[in-house]
Amino acid sequence: MVRVNRMLLRDGGVGICKTLSEILVCPLSKQPLRVCEKSNSLISDAISVSYSIVDGIPCLVPNDGKIIEADDTLKPDGAIDSLDRKREGQGDSP
Amino acid sequence: MASLQLCLRPFPGQRRPIFGSRLRPVRCADDRQALFSRIAPAYDNLNDLLSLGQHRIWKRMAVSWSGAKEGDNVLDLCCGSGDLAFLLSEKVGPNGKVIGLDFSKEQLLIASSRQDLRSKACYKNIKWVEGDALYLPFSDSYFDAITIGYGLRNVVDIRKAIEEMFRVLKPGSKVSALDFNKSTHPFSALTQEWMIDNIVVPVATGYGLAKEYEYLKSSIAKFLTGKELEKLALEVGFSDARHYEIGGGLMGNLVAYTIDAIHA
Repeated sequence: MVRVNRMLLRDGGVGICKTLSEILVCPLSKQPLRVCEKSNSLISDAISVSYSIVDGIPCLVPNDGKIIEADDTLKPDGAIDSLDRKREGQGDSP
Repeated sequence: MASLQLCLRPFPGQRRPIFGSRLRPVRCADDRQALFSRIAPAYDNLNDLLSLGQHRIWKRMAVSWSGAKEGDNVLDLCCGSGDLAFLLSEKVGPNGKVIGLDFSKEQLLIASSRQDLRSKACYKNIKWVEGDALYLPFSDSYFDAITIGYGLRNVVDIRKAIEEMFRVLKPGSKVSALDFNKSTHPFSALTQEWMIDNIVVPVATGYGLAKEYEYLKSSIAKFLTGKELEKLALEVGFSDARHYEIGGGLMGNLVAYTIDAIHA
């Protein structure tokens, strides 16, 4: 069932293939990534950042990562609740 | 978390420093990313036109130098529209894997379209990743070979790029970096400059890309010579590094490799 879902997601331009999901790590922490099918992204639990997948191509440029706020519902089966709230929480960089 | 915030984009419409005192490198990276995205539609045609097709030979040489073979897992950095990735794909075959990484989504979409149009079964072994050559999304010691074609000159931190390549390369493997040669011979340097001013830029102007290709001259001037690249590779930790001049000295290919100390 999971395999079929993955294939459907890939054919619809969503998700990435299993081969790629096993190879990739977070570009910043170098820790494993988790595929979140609901938000179509790769999640770095180590540093609470998500990276989007567009047209089957994972976007792992650090600048394009999105911080996941602690109160966002981004558990393993959850989706990112508020992408804008995390930006509001960002202060000026030191 | 603080360091991560330094790495991420500012609020939309707010162009504020991301890396603090390292503002210039970040803006340069954005500018270069935008440049390569703008030239993406004409990139392949211009490569053929400007090198009279010779870039295809140089790229085959780069792949040979990488040592990539059947069944290998290989990485093509700054893959652009995929020329080197397709050559690597043929080398490693259906049992191997090729990752093509680039920071331009536009270039990757062209590479992906070319992959869809090609009928060879082995091309299915190529996967495309949008990423930064200075922050590679791969584990240590993963790849059997790495190529980078006309990319090393364009990164904002050459040392860091070579460090990342060293990190993700398996011991006993090679990096093959093809690029313009920053020649120390006055005649070669002048010839190169003349060709850019009188052939490359005028031809690129016809595609509306004069400014983008004028960047070529300054990027070669700022690049490292062959000797400097060899020295840098050794400093980073490669066991040996050789820079070969090809294309009449206009191009150069750095080959750096690590020793597999355990199995040597």
